[in-house]
Amino acid sequence: MIVGHLLRRGLNRWIVLSLAVILAIGIAVPALNLLLPVTHPLHVPTYIVALFGKYLCYALLALSLDLVWGYVGILSLGHGAFFALGGYAMGMYLMRQIGPRGVYGDPVLPDFMVFLNWQELPWFWYGFDRFWFAALMVMVVPGLLAFIFGWFAFRSRVTGVYLSIITQAMTYALMLAFFRNNMGFGGNNGLTDFKDILGYSVQAGETRAALFFASAAALALGVLFVSALGASRYGKLMIAVRDAEARTRFIGYRPEYVKLFAFVAAAVMAGIAGALYVPQVGIINPGEFAPANSIEIVVWTAVGGRGTIIGPIIGAILVNAGKSWLTGFAPEFWLFALGGLFVAVTLFLPKGIVGTAIDGWDGLRRMRDGKRRERGEDAPLTGPQPEAAE
Amino acid sequence: MVFIRTIIAIFLLVFTALLALPAGAQEDDSALRQAISGLGAEKGYSKLRQAIDVVVETGDPRGARVLDALAEGDVYRREGDGAVFIVSGRGKERNLIDPVTSEQVGTIAKSELKKVRVNNSVRRTVRDAIGALTLGAKDPDIRLSAVRTMIDNPDPDSLDVIATALEREGDDDVRTALEQARAAAILLSDAAVPDKVAAIETIREMGGQEALSLLVRARNAAGAEMRDATEAAIASVQKRLQYWSLGQNVWYGLSLGSVLLLAAIGLAITFGVMGVINMAHGEMVMLGAYTTFMVQEIMRTSFPGMLDWSLPIALPLAFLVAGSVGFAMERGVIRLLYGRPLETLLATWGISLILQQTVRTIFGPTNREVSNPSYMSGAFQLGELSITWNRLWIVVFALVVFAVLLYAMNRTSLGLKMRAVTQNRRMAAAMGIRTPWVDALTFALGSGIAGIAGVALSQIDNVSPNLGQGYIIDSFMVVVFGGVGNLWGTLIGAFSLGIANKFLEPFAGAVLGKILVLVFIILFIQKRPRGLFALKGRAVEA
Amino acid sequence: MNDMAMIEERPLAAKAPQHAALTEREVQESRRKETILYLDGVSVSFDGFRAINNLSFLLGKGEMRAIIGPNGAGKTTMMDIVTGKTRPDEGEVFFNGTVDLTKHDEPAIATMGIGRKFQKPTVFEGHTVEDNLALALAGSRSILAAIFHRRDAEEEARIAEILDTIRLTHLRDASAANLSHGQKQWLEIGMLLAQDPKVLLVDEPVAGMTDAETEETARLLRDIARDHSVVVVEHDMGFVRDLGVKVTCLHEGSVLSEGSIDNVSSDPKVVEVYLGR
Ligand SMILES: Nc1ncnc2c1ncn2[C@@H]1O[C@H](COP(=O)(O)OP(=O)(O)O)[C@@H](O)[C@H]1O
Ligand SMILES: [Mg+2]
Repeated sequence: MIVGHLLRRGLNRWIVLSLAVILAIGIAVPALNLLLPVTHPLHVPTYIVALFGKYLCYALLALSLDLVWGYVGILSLGHGAFFALGGYAMGMYLMRQIGPRGVYGDPVLPDFMVFLNWQELPWFWYGFDRFWFAALMVMVVPGLLAFIFGWFAFRSRVTGVYLSIITQAMTYALMLAFFRNNMGFGGNNGLTDFKDILGYSVQAGETRAALFFASAAALALGVLFVSALGASRYGKLMIAVRDAEARTRFIGYRPEYVKLFAFVAAAVMAGIAGALYVPQVGIINPGEFAPANSIEIVVWTAVGGRGTIIGPIIGAILVNAGKSWLTGFAPEFWLFALGGLFVAVTLFLPKGIVGTAIDGWDGLRRMRDGKRRERGEDAPLTGPQPEAAE
Repeated sequence: MVFIRTIIAIFLLVFTALLALPAGAQEDDSALRQAISGLGAEKGYSKLRQAIDVVVETGDPRGARVLDALAEGDVYRREGDGAVFIVSGRGKERNLIDPVTSEQVGTIAKSELKKVRVNNSVRRTVRDAIGALTLGAKDPDIRLSAVRTMIDNPDPDSLDVIATALEREGDDDVRTALEQARAAAILLSDAAVPDKVAAIETIREMGGQEALSLLVRARNAAGAEMRDATEAAIASVQKRLQYWSLGQNVWYGLSLGSVLLLAAIGLAITFGVMGVINMAHGEMVMLGAYTTFMVQEIMRTSFPGMLDWSLPIALPLAFLVAGSVGFAMERGVIRLLYGRPLETLLATWGISLILQQTVRTIFGPTNREVSNPSYMSGAFQLGELSITWNRLWIVVFALVVFAVLLYAMNRTSLGLKMRAVTQNRRMAAAMGIRTPWVDALTFALGSGIAGIAGVALSQIDNVSPNLGQGYIIDSFMVVVFGGVGNLWGTLIGAFSLGIANKFLEPFAGAVLGKILVLVFIILFIQKRPRGLFALKGRAVEA
Repeated sequence: MNDMAMIEERPLAAKAPQHAALTEREVQESRRKETILYLDGVSVSFDGFRAINNLSFLLGKGEMRAIIGPNGAGKTTMMDIVTGKTRPDEGEVFFNGTVDLTKHDEPAIATMGIGRKFQKPTVFEGHTVEDNLALALAGSRSILAAIFHRRDAEEEARIAEILDTIRLTHLRDASAANLSHGQKQWLEIGMLLAQDPKVLLVDEPVAGMTDAETEETARLLRDIARDHSVVVVEHDMGFVRDLGVKVTCLHEGSVLSEGSIDNVSSDPKVVEVYLGR
């Protein structure tokens, strides 16, 4: 109710505002880093650029999870897999850009392959020396996996926690697979020691600035995409599927396709987030597939407020900033905090920060308009509630 | 070559003989001592050979040790009194070792020693003598292990010894082994073809990995006329070995299945019966394992004599610890989230992180050592199957836990109430069942069972704060695969997944095998979303 | 000797009805062509319990039919079968005389033109009244169409018309979650209208309504029945009498009695089922 309501009118203002803020940050932060001298009080240190660049990718990732969880009600516990796949696709491009500058100096084979005594490049590494191809794969690979997985899962009507559990199993299986050396993705160590992207050194300040801006722009596009989708008839359909899946069938819709589209779109978004993430952190390894990572994405989204657009962004940034801060001075405390956050959010803040704020805002406006509708109080959650058909 | 092999064989014979001897359990050793002292008489090789025969006549297997040393050139005579010792060490100061007890009795300057010299003919005598001594031991177990050593290291030169031993041997097992040893030796000798064919037959009947390697050796050494017979025998032995390895795989599968069963069975209650997604289930297992560790530490420091009792003591404690944590979880968090399964999933995941970190803070992040009690260490052989005791116990234990739980659910009043509450909460409440109480107890029961599983898993897995995480996905897979709400489904699910996993491993490797099983389950759930043994009806659809 | 005779007789006995069945089948087929809904010999069991037992039911084109029957008679299950939610174990289910419904799933059946109102009102509680109707509005059901859909004036008019019909115009922007039980029933009927189906299956539409609302609903349904085929399941005898249509009484999964409301309600079998235990 709230979501639909806000998307139709109220939040448009908010979306424009948040787009402006995201783009402003995307320009200002790198500019303040590059243009101001280090001594200037407004200078943004490089490590902050790197850190915030990471947060922006996480925000896009959380937004993509929100599309499936907040809007369609699919709690994916394997969303990190799409992020990691996108990251690996980008990592493969970056690996091939190293060329003969690797430790072993092989012009084609990445170091780990030389180390494993491989004679030639496996077929699935072909084409990754070209950026356009890698960029395509960043979207195609996660999208394809989501399509295949979703096709089977949604058509056979696997829902609720069953779906969550098998998505978790999916990312777990991928993690095990990528840990294997003979998969051809660098095994344990993953892909790292990157040198160039599009001919520019990944270490250079300008490249970092460009990547930061690209992340902000991708996030802005993500916001536009999700809000446009949410405002369309399809957006209403997603919520209808979330709240009463079986009912949509009896008016002729195929909820499995509704879900499939959102799932694939979200996977592609996650893949893009991963691809932007990898050059900024300089490594991708199978740890990104760990089920725990995927669940962490869920908590960002939950903290911010699922089913809203800026909620997951705020959640991702807040939680990760908290993580950076806490692990700085009391690393052992971080897991307590994260665990506590899970419990606290589900118990006390089921709509997340933004969802709760919107409720409060709505309440205030209703009071101001003098239209006090008692009924508004027991409105259902914006969150997914598995609903029986009958 | 032959010489070196002989030496090795002798050494092994002696070694096994010594191993088989309970130290200090010897009667009178004066006869042996007397005989050994004869070795020191300085009268040439033929006299020495006679002296060796005297040692053999004592029939005391301990004599083998000194004879072995003799062949190695380690037997010396003390110049002063002519006493015979085994001597070890280099340089000026040598160690004196008593030839009978094998204990070091002192040191001596090299100059005071005179070596008992041997030549090849003496060495041969020594070898036969050792064979005769060990094969002639009174204890059939010693004889048997001596023969086994000979089978593993066949030597055509020992055929005579074997023949003599066969004449005397009365014990059937030893006889069979001797015949096999003879066959093994014949295969490597230059005996006539029919003899060798008979020997191949004997080895083939023997079967097993040794038979295979014997035959392969024989094939490589054999001439053309023997090749076919050897190949056929090899094929036959291999076939039998395949059956055994099939059996071994089934056993490994059962073993893995029992571990899965243990890990999943608590979940079958909390998830299967109550419908609560407890992502902290693995941490309940972990708590059980740490309880075991604590109990064992206390036993080790305070009652070292009762160390073997730590597992039986840990069982109820682990149940209590994990059960009460589960009880607290249900009352504190899960109760507030009934009907919101996805939220429950997230909250319990949060709890799992907290539990993990708590344990990590208290016990440290590294693995803790939990030792196996004596009755769970070691292994035994069943045909070609090698079965470790701890695995066997865990299979038995998992089945017992399952049976007890089945009984509890179907025959006790709590079980009845649990089922009533899960089937129709309002009706149950109307009939006077205190449903919140039943919920809490059910959850505590499921968690307690997980704790018990932790006791068992501490025996085969690393006890670390991450212990539980390794099991959570597998456990869910088992429950979902077997069919939610059905304990039998969990049993069958656990064992079929375990066995499937172990059968895939040889072809695909451990990791890929596991991935394949996961992929299979993912596909399976999509075909049958309610598992193998699904409950039917409207209630389930809701 | 006796045995021999029996064996010889059997093929004969088997042949005769087969002949008859052939012609009967033809008759049935032509009869089927005239129906909008055709159920013949339908049975369904759940874990051995026969919820529908050799049920035969015909609904003519443009006809409105009321179905009564005690709880558990299988009324809702019958709708489940027609709408594709439950597959019959045996029997034939045809729509429009030609379409075998057992071969299609729920969305396909819904888009063919069979709309359904559930016993327990199910509307999209996350949406406003208007959006509920907009989602149900006839039109393409594909995902792409939904993404690029723009509401045109015709649709606006249709929604306004339906809102008027179901008397919810003043609650157009209210959340469906906040409607009263009766209003939800009407919204669901409104969604049915928006779908513009050929057949409406209406399961207990007046449960939880006041007498006045019940009368309204009867009027509404009679209105609808003018250009639709309708099946109404209801317990409320007064309401059924108000509808003034042919009545079918189900019991234990098959038809117990059929005819005008007066005939059915005076049928001793029906009286026994309702009162006699
Ligand atoms: N999916 C199902 N699983 C099990 N039993 C069912 C199912 N659907 C219907 N039934 C049973 O079939 C019988 C008929 O139910 P129903 O059609 O709802 O009756 P009513 O005439 O009251 O609508 C009831 O006994 C019901 O329990
Ligand atoms: Mg009904």
